[in-house]
Amino acid sequence: MTRRSFFCLTLILCISFHLHLLSASQFEGFDAEDDDASDDSSDLHHSLPPPTITQSHSSLPDPQPSPDDSTSDLIPESDPEPQSDPSSTPFDFWDEDEFEGLPETIDSSPTAENATETADPETASTAQDATPPSKKKKKEKSYAIEIACVCFLMALGINYFVGKRENERLALAWAAKFASKDTIFHKNFSLLGVGDGVESPLLLKEALNVFKFYASGRRYCHGLLATMELKSRHDLISRVFNLVVPCKDEITFEVYMNEEAMDHVVFAMAKNKAAKTMQKEVKDLQRFAGIVSPPTGRKWVSEELSVISESKEVAGDMITDTVLDQVFGDKAMEKYGKNFMSMHISDQHPGKHKKMMLFKFSLPDAKHMDDIVRLVALIPYYIDLVGRYRLSTQARNKTETGRQKAAEEAYKELQNARQEALQKKKAERKKLIEEAEAKLSAEVIRKKEVKERARQVKKAMPKIKMSRGH
Amino acid sequence: MSQSHGNVSSANDPRQPLAAKPYTPRPVAPEDLPVDYSGFIAVILGVSGVMFRYKICSWLAIIFCAQSLANMRNLENDLKQISMAMMYVPSLTRLDFIS
Repeated sequence: MTRRSFFCLTLILCISFHLHLLSASQFEGFDAEDDDASDDSSDLHHSLPPPTITQSHSSLPDPQPSPDDSTSDLIPESDPEPQSDPSSTPFDFWDEDEFEGLPETIDSSPTAENATETADPETASTAQDATPPSKKKKKEKSYAIEIACVCFLMALGINYFVGKRENERLALAWAAKFASKDTIFHKNFSLLGVGDGVESPLLLKEALNVFKFYASGRRYCHGLLATMELKSRHDLISRVFNLVVPCKDEITFEVYMNEEAMDHVVFAMAKNKAAKTMQKEVKDLQRFAGIVSPPTGRKWVSEELSVISESKEVAGDMITDTVLDQVFGDKAMEKYGKNFMSMHISDQHPGKHKKMMLFKFSLPDAKHMDDIVRLVALIPYYIDLVGRYRLSTQARNKTETGRQKAAEEAYKELQNARQEALQKKKAERKKLIEEAEAKLSAEVIRKKEVKERARQVKKAMPKIKMSRGH
Repeated sequence: MSQSHGNVSSANDPRQPLAAKPYTPRPVAPEDLPVDYSGFIAVILGVSGVMFRYKICSWLAIIFCAQSLANMRNLENDLKQISMAMMYVPSLTRLDFIS
């Protein structure tokens, strides 16, 4: 809607501008004259100098026989604005009445012309010299902007193709490492790719920097969707912006867990700052979970990471020893955990699918895809872990009460929304009925008035008795 | 394929071909699409360039128009709007250069 209104406004502006241009063209001799006076005068100077020089020579011995010709040619030189005698000039469109005074002054001083003749060619020549350089300067000035912009456009075009290819290469490198034959996803999922059939394409290109990979056919989960959001390498302006504001290539894995497979688990882990913002912004973490301090007496994640969980028990069960040794422990984090950004396991996920796991990693170069092998291996590990995990009765009781409250609130919100919708519909219906009644009443009034007028007219008319003629 | 390997590996094989669901893309409402700032800026610059007769504005409008085309997603949805903007901005710049 905003785009349409904007387009209409600009159309109106365009039309008004066109009209202005058209109106300006009609008064070519007057208003446009002032803007283009220098150009016209320079044109005249260009076209006229040879004849003026020859004619001035001819006019010297015989000024009288051809005063009009010489005056007509000299006048434009002497006067900066070309207000010449209409008899000899091509500007027949001008109104003669506008230049009433001019012919008298020129005729009265024919001798002065001879004196000015020598001066005029000089002035003409100087004027000639003056205008071309300025014209050239103008030309030179104006071309700078054009050249710069055309160069930028060419750079944009080249960068588009180069950036596009780079992004595609990166996406294909990831797919070759993790989604092709005998790779981790091939061993874990029966259906890979976005289409139907065996030879479906692995990656879906949503945009020049967004690629999606889908896998399905595994225990405990419906499927997995990996979204690669790469830097906008195809867009030069974004590239320049990213030099100032750093940006990373990211990959997000969404695992859709089965209803029966996942118990009440709300768990998240991220780097310290990111974890704080996550806990405040993400709805289910806000409601059910809080940042868990590292427990004493057991191994825990590196200090860089913060854990958000419903309870310490759940947090402890999610962070197993294998995970700590492989990725999240102090030693392993330095080597393998650099590209880790966040993970979020929840059965109360806001959105369509409630039971979900989200993993976010940053993507390395095409040549360094091995860096995230262990991180990607976390995904099937966690699918199995969470799929098999069952809470203890105590923890379950705690979580149940919280979820019941959440369910009740959600139900109340739904009911409120439904009531509001019903009220809106009722109000709309009332409005329609009122409008219809108003219309009807207006029509009824009109009909009554018409009838009354007809009656009055009938009364005014004399009654003509008619009788049948036999 | 997994059946041919026999029951020994099936216990360890997490794959379940029967449970596989094909991909269904999530429908994106046109309101949720990210705002095309570069297209908007292109139109503003084009109009201002014509009104105030600044050549730089007209050229920047073309550049931003090219950027919005480059960032186009969902070819079917956006092509109409962006093609309108594409035809619109160069026509504005032509007006500017003629006058």
